[in-house]
Formats: sequence, structure tokens, C-alpha cells
Amino acid sequence: MEAWLFVSPSAIGFLIFFLGPLCAVVYFSMTEWNLLTQQAAFVGLANFKNALLENPDFWHVVRNSVIFALGLVPLNMALALTLALALSRPFFGVVFFRTVFFAPVVTSAIAWAIVWKFLLQGEGGFINQMLAIVGISGPNWLREPNWAMAAVIVTRVIKMVGLNMILYIAALQAIPRDYEAAARLEGASRWQIFRMIIWPLLAPTTLIIMVITTIGSFKVFDHIYQMTGGGPENGTLVLAFYIYQQGFKFFNIGYASALAMIMFVIVMMLTIVQVMLRRKGAE
Amino acid sequence: MKAVLAGIAISALALCALSSQALSQELRMTVWTGSEAHLKMLNGIADSFKTKHPDVTVKFETVPVNDYTQKLTFQVAGGNAPDLAWMMEDAAPAFENAGLLMDIGPTLKATEGYDFADFSQPAMALWQKGETVYGVPFSTSPFMIYYNKEMFDKAGLEDPLALAAKGEWTMDKFQEVSKKLAEANPGKWGFEFKDGEGYASRMTHALLPPIRAYGGDIWSNGECGFDKPEAVKAIKQLHDMVFKDKSIVPPGEQGDYFSGNSAMTVNQISRASKMAEAGFKWGIAPLPTGPGGEAPVIGQAGLVVFDAGKNKEIAAEFIAHMTSKDNVATMAQFFPPARKSVLDSDAFINGNKLVPAEMMKGVADAIANGRVHPAHEKAPQILAAMAPRVDALWKADADVDAAINGICAAIQPQL
Repeated sequence: MEAWLFVSPSAIGFLIFFLGPLCAVVYFSMTEWNLLTQQAAFVGLANFKNALLENPDFWHVVRNSVIFALGLVPLNMALALTLALALSRPFFGVVFFRTVFFAPVVTSAIAWAIVWKFLLQGEGGFINQMLAIVGISGPNWLREPNWAMAAVIVTRVIKMVGLNMILYIAALQAIPRDYEAAARLEGASRWQIFRMIIWPLLAPTTLIIMVITTIGSFKVFDHIYQMTGGGPENGTLVLAFYIYQQGFKFFNIGYASALAMIMFVIVMMLTIVQVMLRRKGAE
Repeated sequence: MKAVLAGIAISALALCALSSQALSQELRMTVWTGSEAHLKMLNGIADSFKTKHPDVTVKFETVPVNDYTQKLTFQVAGGNAPDLAWMMEDAAPAFENAGLLMDIGPTLKATEGYDFADFSQPAMALWQKGETVYGVPFSTSPFMIYYNKEMFDKAGLEDPLALAAKGEWTMDKFQEVSKKLAEANPGKWGFEFKDGEGYASRMTHALLPPIRAYGGDIWSNGECGFDKPEAVKAIKQLHDMVFKDKSIVPPGEQGDYFSGNSAMTVNQISRASKMAEAGFKWGIAPLPTGPGGEAPVIGQAGLVVFDAGKNKEIAAEFIAHMTSKDNVATMAQFFPPARKSVLDSDAFINGNKLVPAEMMKGVADAIANGRVHPAHEKAPQILAAMAPRVDALWKADADVDAAINGICAAIQPQL
């Protein structure tokens, strides 16, 4: 009894704010629910059928989400690891540099997107003016579908890389220095030390980072909302934003819930695959 | 023991306070303005309601305009609808059809001295179905050209108001003047679409005035109008202005009129409150005319009462109070009236603190002749379906005809 009382604050919160809504979404996904008239009709799997088989928008949106993830995850992880390797050892000013790279993580996502939108203007934008100085005529970043996707990926990476950098720094600092010293005595090069010692020992961290970054990239919303609104020409219309559009702009709560369920399954499967790959690698 | 007694005494006091509060009623009204001047005026109207209902207070709740309809919908869906609300024209059909709005006709008509017939019939079109009245327009605000007088002077050009007085303020003149303004003010533009959102949330507001000037419409009677010859001419002219003349703020750039970066923009009279702090000489003129003649465009907003509200009778009475002849005249400084008597009144033309009489005459004419933006129950879906096609249109190397056909192909199923 006492034990239950002790866990009750978090258990009740979990039930009300997590499990309850999660079950509700499963039910909503099988209804056609008009938010304004408050009329919900049970339609079975029709919403799923509509999304997966009938609506061409859905696959376009999934494709955009996959491109976003494929662009963001490797770039983010490579940059995070590079920064962590550079900043894991103490040197004069290291705290300053860590702070600089971590600061965007705690910056408001909307403020971040507004500033970048300003910098990425067509002709008058700071980025293009800098490029013009070195003789490059920059594109109208946020108005060309492909460039817009590249722009949201890169600005998102710069925003979030600090978090992964900190995780890598922590992992690097947990690796005993003796290993490296011993390897150096044996005449190993820096690349060999990294490849044979550091990289394998970082594997658990790499897995975690990969999983959370992939999940995060599928859930990206605020960034897209503010920078491109899913445009131009639906070029950055990703899954989370599409769900928002269906649910909160068109008020198709049932359809939006079905899309959210599909997103949940996609993310879960990706996570399982990543964990399995890691196990296989460990064997 | 003492503590228990004290506790009982305090609880009793609290209970008394609560029950006396229950006697007074508070109406909650959502609005999208956060402007101090607007809220001061609204609170004044709420205070004067106390002469009839001393116990009723009205709380105005500001919801940002971009999320307004969405937040209102969720309040309604969550069983927490406000008693009354401002409602945008594009949201009105959906709320009406869902049966959420109270028929306030009987209350209005029963109110002494209300004179319901004083409201202009075209202005009521969106809010009335047969005898049922779902709302009262509190703002029937025509789109006007705002111009920066100093930039016109610098370019040595006659301003739009003078041109309009001579009957020369046409679409062709608009194009010519915009180009000269852009040339005379390097790094700035001749014209900015409404609120700088002409390529995004205000894409129809950007296209509608020129299309109407040419005699077309964006859609009517369930048929797409973008691909009609009149509309195509208008869109091509705008496209030339953006990409050939480089006189309209292009997509992806920011050229805010209110900070002096564009010489002209389109907006409504309520924005005049923003001009006070702009720091340059300015003016208001009618929209340019075209082969289709004068074609004013009106943006409308109404006052509605939610049928589910507990205080809906009082709320309906408050609307009757708010839209009485006197209060409509008070609100007219920001929100142009739909009452004919106020519109024709000397006070409306001469009484605006921000806008001179010669310009207010243009506003009154535009209300009398104007037509509202076409409404549709599925407006959000239509806009979302249009958006990618409109993106394809606003490119320097766009195939304009193909893009226009694409717009119609995308929205026709929704219409």
C-alpha cells in the first residue's frame, strides 16, 4: 500500500498524461470525428486505408520525412563526434567552446527559426550577401524545394548538435586513458587508436544517439512550422507537420490520429532495427 | 479549538464571497486584437453595458490572429467555448453549418431602438440565412492602398490619392508607379503584399484585388476563377511586377511597408493605428481600377454567440448593445461599420482621428461598393491545396499558365 502511495504521483501523471492519451489516439484513429460538430463515427481501418493506399500526399510526406532523417542523422552525428573529439580534453577556453556549441540547444526553436529565415532571404539575406562577396550567387534558399530541405536540415543540425556533442564528450571522458597510452606504446597511430579503441568503446553511446536523433528527426515540427510552413511546393512537408495540418488546421482528428499511429509504428520499427543491428555487431 | 473556530470562520467568509460572486455574471469574449487602443474602446463599451446590467462584466480575451480560429475551435471542442466571440469571415460558414452559433435575430429585433434594417444587406450576407441571424458584422473593412508619401515625393510622383481623384489610378498606372518607386529608392520596393504574407497565408488576399479589377474572381458558385482570362491577365501583370520590374517585394524577401521598406501596401483601416508610430508621412487611397471597373474588396468580421454558452441570452443582449447605433459609431474609428446610417454620417467621414476626411470618403465608397472575399466552409483545405501550386507560380522562370491551371486543378475538387 505504502509503496503504491509513493509511486502514485508519477504513476497518476503517467496514466493521465501518457497512457490515457495514447489509448485515446488508438480509438480516435478508427473514427471520423468532426471537431466542430462533435460527431464521431466509428469507421474501422478506413483512415489507415486512406493514408496508406489512397492518398498520394501521404507517401510524398513520408518520403520527405525519410530525406530529412537521412540528411540530418549522419550529419548531426558526424559533427557531434568531431566536436566532441576536439573538445573532450581540457585546454584553455574549452568551456567557452562547449558553451558556444551547446547554447543553440537551449535557445527557443521558434526564435532560432525566425533568425535563420531572416539570414536565408533571397537577395537581401546575410548568407547570400556573404556568398556574393566570394563570387557565388546563392539560391533563394527557402523558396526552392530542394534548397529549402537542405536549409532546414543544416539549420536543425546546428541547433541540435550540441546535445549529441555533450553525450559523446561524456562517453569519451569515461574511456580510461591507459588504453590510449598502452596503444601508443605499441606504436599505434592516432587513426588506429580512434578506429580500434575509441570508436568500439563509443558504440553504446553511438546507438543511443542514433536512436534519439532518428526519433527526433521524425518528430520535427516547430522548425518546419516556422521556417517553411511545409513549403515551397510541399518540399518540406514532413510527417509531423502533416499530422498537425490534418488535425489542427482541417480538424480531421480521426485521420490525424491514424497518421500519428503510423508515425509511431515507423519510429518504433526503426528503433528496433537499430537495436538489432547493434546486437548483431556486438556478437 | 481556537484554530478550528478560526478555520470555520474563514471558510464561511470565503463561501459568502463566492456566493456574492455567483450573482454577478462574467461574459468571456475572444478577440484577436491586442492593440491597447482597441481594447480600451472595447472595455468602454463593456462598462456602458452596466447601465442596463450592473452585475455583468465582460472579459476580453486576446488570442493571436494566426491561431485564432484554431484555438477557438479547440475551446469549443473542449467544452470551454467563450460566451461570445469575434469571428473571421473564412471561419463563419464552418461554425454556422456545425450548428454552434445562436440565432441572435430575435434578441436584436426585440431591442429597443436597434433598427436591424439599418445594416446593409450585402454586409449581412455571410451572417444571415433566411430569418436566422448567426452574427452581426462589426467590421466591414475594405482593402485600401496605404502609401508612403515621402517615397512618392522623392521619386517626384503624384500619390495614389491624387491619381484616383483624377480617375487615373488604374492597374497600369499602379505598375508604372511601382517600378519608378523601386528605381528611385534603391534597396526598397514599390509595393508589398498584405502584411508581407502574399506568398503564404495571405495568398488569396494578394491575388484577389487585381483579379477583381480585371473583372474576375478567385472562385464563385463552386467554380475556380484563377484560370479565367481576366484572372490570368491580372496574375501575369503581378508576376511581371515581381520578377521583371522587380517592384513588388519578391518571395523570400522581407520589405515591410510599416518600417519604410516599401512605398505601398494593401491593408485595412484598422492598421491606421499602427501608422501613428511609423515616422513617415502617409496616406490611404482606393485600390487601383482595371478593365473590370472599380472592384473594392472587403474583409469582414462578425460578432457571434455560442449556443452552448450558459449566459447566451445576456451575451446576445451584449451584442445588441455593442452594435447599437452609438457604439457602432464609436467603433467606426477602427472598424468600419455596416450600418448605413453611420456610414452616411458626417461623423464617420470627419471624425476619424487618424485618417483625414478625403481619405475616409474613399473608405466609405469602398464599403458601399465592395464585395467580401469569397467564403467557403473548407477554406483551410482550399488554401493548403493551393499553396504548393502558388509556390510554383512565384518563381522567375515559372510557366505562369501551367501554374494557374495547376491551382484550379488542385482546388476544384474542394469547391
